[in-house]
Amino acid sequence: MADAFDQSWMLRLEGLLASGRAAGADLVEIFLERTDHLGVLAEQDTITNVSPAFGMGAGIRVFLGDRDGFVSTNDLSDRGLLQALEQALGMLGLIRTSTASNNFEGLQVMRDFAATKIDWLDRCPSLAEATLKLLEGTSRLDHHGSHLQARRGSYSRDWQSVLVAASDGTFARDIRLHQSLGLNVLAADGDHRAGLGRRYGTSDRPDDLRRWDADAAAQEVCSSVGTMLYAEYVEAGQMPAVLANRFGGVIFHEACGHLLETTQVERGTTPFAEMVGQTIAHEAVTAIDEGLSDGAFGSLSMDDEGMEPQRTVLIENGVLKRFLSDRAGELRTGHGRTGSGRRQGHTFAAASRMRNTFIAAGPHTPEQLIGSVDKGLYCKSMGGGSVGPTGQFNFAVEEGYLIENGQLTKPVKGATLIGEAKEVMPRISMCANDLELAAGFCGSVSGSIFVTVGQPHIKVDSITVGGR
Amino acid sequence: MTPPPIQTLNAEALSGRLQQLAQGAGIQQWDLGASCSTDTSVQVDRGEAKQMKGAQRSAITLRVWNRDGLVGITSTSDLSDSGLARALTGARDASAFGNAEETPAFSPLATAPLTPLEQPLHEPQPILTLLDTLKQAERQLLDRHVAISTVPYNGLAQRSSERLYLNSEGACRHQTLTTASLYLYARAEEAGRKPRSSGAVRLAYGTSELDIAGCIEEAAERTISHLDYAPIETGHYTCVFSPEAFLDLIGAFSSLFNARAVLDGVSLSHRDSLGDSVAVPFLSIRDNGLHPGNVGASAFDGEGTPTTPLHLVDGGVLKNFLHSEATARAFGVAPTGHAGMGAKVSVGADWFEIGATPGSSGGQQGLDRFNHSGPIVVIDSLSALHAGVKASQGSFSLPFDGWLVQAGGSRSIEAATVAGDIRTLLQAIVGFEGLAKITPDGLCPYVWVEGLSITGEA
Repeated sequence: MADAFDQSWMLRLEGLLASGRAAGADLVEIFLERTDHLGVLAEQDTITNVSPAFGMGAGIRVFLGDRDGFVSTNDLSDRGLLQALEQALGMLGLIRTSTASNNFEGLQVMRDFAATKIDWLDRCPSLAEATLKLLEGTSRLDHHGSHLQARRGSYSRDWQSVLVAASDGTFARDIRLHQSLGLNVLAADGDHRAGLGRRYGTSDRPDDLRRWDADAAAQEVCSSVGTMLYAEYVEAGQMPAVLANRFGGVIFHEACGHLLETTQVERGTTPFAEMVGQTIAHEAVTAIDEGLSDGAFGSLSMDDEGMEPQRTVLIENGVLKRFLSDRAGELRTGHGRTGSGRRQGHTFAAASRMRNTFIAAGPHTPEQLIGSVDKGLYCKSMGGGSVGPTGQFNFAVEEGYLIENGQLTKPVKGATLIGEAKEVMPRISMCANDLELAAGFCGSVSGSIFVTVGQPHIKVDSITVGGR
Repeated sequence: MTPPPIQTLNAEALSGRLQQLAQGAGIQQWDLGASCSTDTSVQVDRGEAKQMKGAQRSAITLRVWNRDGLVGITSTSDLSDSGLARALTGARDASAFGNAEETPAFSPLATAPLTPLEQPLHEPQPILTLLDTLKQAERQLLDRHVAISTVPYNGLAQRSSERLYLNSEGACRHQTLTTASLYLYARAEEAGRKPRSSGAVRLAYGTSELDIAGCIEEAAERTISHLDYAPIETGHYTCVFSPEAFLDLIGAFSSLFNARAVLDGVSLSHRDSLGDSVAVPFLSIRDNGLHPGNVGASAFDGEGTPTTPLHLVDGGVLKNFLHSEATARAFGVAPTGHAGMGAKVSVGADWFEIGATPGSSGGQQGLDRFNHSGPIVVIDSLSALHAGVKASQGSFSLPFDGWLVQAGGSRSIEAATVAGDIRTLLQAIVGFEGLAKITPDGLCPYVWVEGLSITGEA
């Protein structure tokens, strides 16, 4: 059983924060973390790997002007924390002194987001229960699939206790719980091969594994891989595309969402830096980032800087409304904090990051979007992607179909969507009425974090499709 | 200020504590991998410090065998007595779910002699010295061309680290290492044109050994060379992969050579694939983690097996697979030094040497992209390999940065993807251009490949 942080840390942390302020720091922030992870892998009908892990550590960040120094350590002893603070101060040319600080008024009353979550870890399924559930998943894959050469089920449970204290008085603790389940298959028949998977994830629901419908998940995966096994390679070119809901939202996440983080404004790598109030997308597009949806993978009670999350409208009817911002982002760019300061763990300084990010539902049906395309690509499932330093993006299409004369026809594989955010956003001309979210992981400057992407079906008037 | 001294792993003390705890828990057989490191790094932004970071890390992975011979593991960053005791309990609990069909054992080579490595240890430099060095490097890169306005991704980092492998039969491996890295990724933009970017990386055993001037030069040259760009027409082209791009591609498809992937049924190779012709008859691929160019090489793998060179493809023929102890036992061969550590042990490549098989014929040597009749696409760097490579299917579709070379001239390609099948590509290699170059991932010359599909926006 991992221990949660509590009020007893207050005096120790106040001492460190006072030392940092007395040394001349503008602001000192301490992030404490304990983690308890469980990973389970089932292959075919056998549990092949069980990998528990637990950890602890602290990240200490010191600001002076708009500069900062950050030090992380696994050593939570007084000596270890003091050494980390001294190193962070030294990065800014500051030296800890024995002089008392009169610039620090102490921590506020602890805001306790963890009080109702103390028993969450105990309420999660036992290891035995998790293994049985996973084996049910791989068994159902065998039942529903054909030509399956490999069947895999994976379960991951991440418990994290955090305590945030800063010299502006911030003092807050939280417990986070994320669970995810994945089913993956590889099908082979002669020279035909296809592999794909689906992942399901939630936050803050200890019982969630028990509710997972293994049969339905296996059926969906087997149906998709059965279709893709005999698919032909897509013909490359420029064409309209309809992207399905749920994980199709990765296109907005990668192509535009990252460019609306103040981290990108600081680096000078977003084309939207000076465009608040201006039209950057088609008027059909309204986009939101929030940390509030119940159980969603990217939801938070507080961000990693102790701020409660918000519902942030990024784009409204095509007009850029605001950026996602953290403490450093506010300091360096002037964009107000949005409860978006996030990090993988104590070894990373927080940065402005997305939470649950989605394009809002529109007025159309998915059939109307597909029906409006003479010849194009329907992307039922996306396989991931990335965005480069000048805004160019790419996405692999995991499951795709040709659209011919307004109808879905044959399945196609090997498609990659490429383009530039600034060019593609005005081309999202239709949004359907079937918004859904999907869990995912996002890797960026402050590590890999839990996020949700989402959208309704959307139509992009023209996009480059890489293929054979 | 100078970073704090590195934490140290006391192998004898750690072994003694574990032996005691294991006996108390009734565990006879165990092994562990441990590491600790001290890192410092800086980033700058237009002459100012952007971020300065330090980190002290420690971690162990503990593996135990229960009375039924089943294996369980636990990892932790808590090296205190209570942390070790908890890890031992966790591993024992996990062992109840161990896989009876495939149980790892100690590597028979865990006490075999190691090949000595030439890895000079460097004292860490004060972080403010790192900052000054990086500021100067950024300034010099910005001064190289008026269009280079920022270096949005940059970093200078140094690390001191230790690794340890111990087991209950007395194996004890220990390695100490210092490394440093510099990366500079510049962004350039000319009026009315799209921004372009490119960069360079250097590794060394200490910051004083880093080739900073070379990194600036390469980052500047690459970035400037992409300023004049044009779209390319979709079609099939002869392509020239840079050493970095070809090594990235082979690395992404390394499950071809991976015994773990073969046994799991997710490799394009099969148990009986050794001896098959998988590439043109003049291609050689060797895994050689001990190459002097492999900065930060490991002397042993996660199971304590010594790192050794291994021919994977020779004369176009698949010669060997990479192995852990368990996969080697399944194939009836010796472990090759490519294992991780776990209840199910992962297997991975170290560092590739790619080139012509000595004495082979058929491949064209000394090719010259500027002395070729048709258009040639030079693929300088590949992106999004995590999304665009289907390793178990053999297919890839990847964005790239590169140039179109025709009529003796070269022009950057605006945006394009290259797509194909790795099995077809390996049989479509025409030859090599230039001398093999040492990169962070291996040693490789420019590689010419015929008939790859390029999607452009023209």
